Amino acid sequence: MKRAILAALGLATSLAMPATAEDIKVGLLLPYSGVYAALGNDIDAGFALGLETFGAETGATFEIVREDTEVKPPVALGKAKKLILQDKVDVMAGIVSSGVLGAVRDMVHGAGVPLIVANAGNDEATGIQCSPYITRMSFSNGQVNRPMGTWMAEQGIKKVYTLAPDYAAGRQMIDGFAQTFTAAGGEIVGQEFTPFQKTQDFGPYLAQAKASGADAVFVFYAGGEAISFVKQYDSFGLKADLPLYGSGFLTSALYVNAEGPAAEGVITALHYVPTIENDANKAFAEAFTAATGRVPSEYAVQGYDSARALVEAVKAGATDRESLANALRQVSFDGPRGPLSIDPATNNLIQPIYVYETIAGEGGLTQKVLAQLPAERDPVNGCEMAPVSN
Amino acid sequence: MFRHTPLRYGVLVLLAAAALFQAFTAEYFGLEILTEILILAMLVLALDMVAGFGGMVSLCHGALMGVGAYAYAMLTTKAGIAPPVAMAGSVAITGAAAWVIGAVCARSHGIYFIMATLAFGQMAYSWVFEAPVFGGDDGLGGIARLDLTMIGLDLTDSRSFALFCLFALGAAYGATVLILRSGLGRSLSGIMHNEQRMRALGLTVWRVKADVFGLSGMIAGLAGALAAQHIMFVSPGLLGWTVSGEALVVVILGGLGTLVGPLVGAAAFVVLKHELSAVTPYWHLVVGVILIAVVMSRANGIFGWVEARWGARIDRRVADATRKQQPGEVVSDA
Amino acid sequence: MANDLGFWTLQALNALQLSMLLFLLSIGLTVIFGLMHFVNLAHGSLYALGAYVAASLAAVGGFWMGFFLAPVAVAGVGILLYSGLIRRMRKSGPMAQVLVTFGLIFAMLDLTRIFWGDLALAIEVPALLDGRLSFLGVEYPTYRLFIIALGLAIIAALAFVLGRTQIGAMIRAGVDNDAMAACLGINVERLFFVVFCVGCALAGLAGAVAAPLLSVTPDMGLQILIPTLIVIVIGGLGSLKGAVAGSLIFGFVQTFGAVLAPQLASVLIYALLAAVLVIKPVGLFPAKG
Repeated sequence: MKRAILAALGLATSLAMPATAEDIKVGLLLPYSGVYAALGNDIDAGFALGLETFGAETGATFEIVREDTEVKPPVALGKAKKLILQDKVDVMAGIVSSGVLGAVRDMVHGAGVPLIVANAGNDEATGIQCSPYITRMSFSNGQVNRPMGTWMAEQGIKKVYTLAPDYAAGRQMIDGFAQTFTAAGGEIVGQEFTPFQKTQDFGPYLAQAKASGADAVFVFYAGGEAISFVKQYDSFGLKADLPLYGSGFLTSALYVNAEGPAAEGVITALHYVPTIENDANKAFAEAFTAATGRVPSEYAVQGYDSARALVEAVKAGATDRESLANALRQVSFDGPRGPLSIDPATNNLIQPIYVYETIAGEGGLTQKVLAQLPAERDPVNGCEMAPVSN
Repeated sequence: MFRHTPLRYGVLVLLAAAALFQAFTAEYFGLEILTEILILAMLVLALDMVAGFGGMVSLCHGALMGVGAYAYAMLTTKAGIAPPVAMAGSVAITGAAAWVIGAVCARSHGIYFIMATLAFGQMAYSWVFEAPVFGGDDGLGGIARLDLTMIGLDLTDSRSFALFCLFALGAAYGATVLILRSGLGRSLSGIMHNEQRMRALGLTVWRVKADVFGLSGMIAGLAGALAAQHIMFVSPGLLGWTVSGEALVVVILGGLGTLVGPLVGAAAFVVLKHELSAVTPYWHLVVGVILIAVVMSRANGIFGWVEARWGARIDRRVADATRKQQPGEVVSDA
Repeated sequence: MANDLGFWTLQALNALQLSMLLFLLSIGLTVIFGLMHFVNLAHGSLYALGAYVAASLAAVGGFWMGFFLAPVAVAGVGILLYSGLIRRMRKSGPMAQVLVTFGLIFAMLDLTRIFWGDLALAIEVPALLDGRLSFLGVEYPTYRLFIIALGLAIIAALAFVLGRTQIGAMIRAGVDNDAMAACLGINVERLFFVVFCVGCALAGLAGAVAAPLLSVTPDMGLQILIPTLIVIVIGGLGSLKGAVAGSLIFGFVQTFGAVLAPQLASVLIYALLAAVLVIKPVGLFPAKG
């Protein structure tokens, strides 16, 4: 069972300083096939770009071992074991679905291998199931949506109807929103969860939303479901009377062009938008587009920042599993998303949230940032974290 | 009815030897793959029992395995029941569920039977996916393995666990052979060949089908309990219809109605999948082309092909010596 | 929830629209099965292929180009499949057919990924069918009405062909007893070929029609396969009436299930399928007996 794909990113600097060169072996655990293959590829491209950009700041050589999770928890666990026990990686990164994260969590924690989560957003991973070895550089489901609840209430929206797929992430996204929206005086007039990945026709739910008497609709959908939803929402002509809001994955740069004009005017909130104005994002977006020909999505930036976090940890002197785990928890830097730091209580990333509107621009749809909401830490959610020994 | 031929014995011994060799020499990932093969082999054994010997082509065996896995997970983590009891419990629960499915679907045949079993499998899947008590899409973790330290086996060790699965597979194989040779098994093959006649002879056809389906379900449940312990985590994907579909493909690929063939198929399928997925993310394409090629060769799967080519010859030689076996019967029997 | 008539009219139209889409897929599958006793699990993959071809053509020559040419292209693939694989598989029993069509699903899934990538594609609704129409007192998207009209037109055309023409009589004879039909001088092989191609074309058409409504993803074929199989099994294999009845039952149960009993929505249709098979083990309107 030898792996063929060993992409050794032997950087020029490692040749220049052979005496001090550390060899850091990174296991990248991502879906390269299955429904989330597009996400996995974007994270992979972002991660590679991150190492290429910042890796030279250290004297270390980074070697990447890629493994395909196929979005199947049992497969992913087998691959994680292989990375830890056989390839003896120093650190792992990746993981798109929360189910996969749940499956590998005990293994990673038990073996004491640092894991940089580059997507999976289940609240538990940095809550009740938190681990000093698991650092999340992406987002948590609640974190992305809570600021939006307050913001929408501030815009004078009183009654909202919510829709999301019926699975853990869908419920957590909506709960996060509903919690702050009602706290700010708003009212949820109806709520429906659609069968996950089995709903192709949203017509029945849209008719209900229309009849609910809400001022606006707030939804979470991603990937293929997001495209179907946005297009069908528009085809029923609901956008004019019943504006569509949502979690920013709804109009992600990864697939917003497939939604076409139907996505125009949809207002959503997310931790990254390709049009954020700062120097780090400008450099990142240009480099990513040059490398892949695509506009970077939130998935790409998560991969990029995961690589950056790893580099920062190595720069701080970390060389092995233990020291990397400790160092990863303390990284902070200004990235494309703005100032980032790790919450010591949960190991979840603290980051600003951006409210943006999808608008027509030159050469396709683009994103107009309406507001930058302040960075906020997640509640501890039952996380009790023993510090990594010594 | 199932019969061991010298060829089948030979292949069984070879398979067991290869598994033992792998178990004692392989590295961690090799052991993972071995365990995966052993668990899949147990599932396809259960499926071949109903599909190959009773004509009940089930598209819910993956879901039955999932029921076993979830039953074990729920019993150990939520009900706090000791692993050995939980294992027995999960086998019993899965068997009961399978019995009911078998009884309800007994009147359907062919594609209708396939679809009826699919319906039950999907119902189980949807239920597990949506009921919060099962952990939904995120699954359930923290599942303990059986504690066999009193007989000197530490199952948290991959090697010991692989050996344990091999032992369980051997037991399941023995049980399957015994069932197929019993009166029940003979009635079952009678039903497959001529259901009308068996009914006319006064046999309660649906009872026979349900009983065998239930027994098959128990083996699938055991496979599920082992799968839950192997990965120490369960998720709804275990119950998806593609798992059942893959199991069916493995049975046909190996050789329907040969018991030994599906074991060969399981090993071939898992090894192929891992080797290919290491080389290309498009491994489905290669597997698909191989499946098509196997069918176009007009053989009854890999093992069926071997039997058709060499089996009859070896048999004839043995038959000449013993004057007991009829040449050519192997193929029609399968 | 609204109790007014408009709400229920809207939902009934939604159900009808879903039914018609499923009908386009299931009629091909059910007649192929009835005639050739061939379980083509790869039918869903042909639907996905139709959607992808339509998306590519729409990018070049607009929606209508995809709409008319995608069925032709998929029928072309059908011809290849028929002459390369399926004709030889006709006598090899259902197990071999399951295996070979499963192999096709695997192969076509990855081929679409290689050709079109993992990212979802989409087609814009053509200008002619954009917007909404007032219909039975509700505003309903024109494109969805178009799907309903298209489905009804195809039902009518097939009912005419199968019921009133010579080739229809030949197909019915073939479904009933292909050996006897061959004895009566019907070229059964050619009949199979024609029916298979038309079935593939309809699957391609369904894909092309669904593409502007949904997103075009590699796994859309797998997603639609199970609903299609449920439709033809509830309806009974081999008959137009069965496909129509099955599609309508599925569409209405799915839509109104989602409205009236959302917690049960995903289990409901399977429970119904199981119930039908317990009461009528060969479906509601099977072609034979």
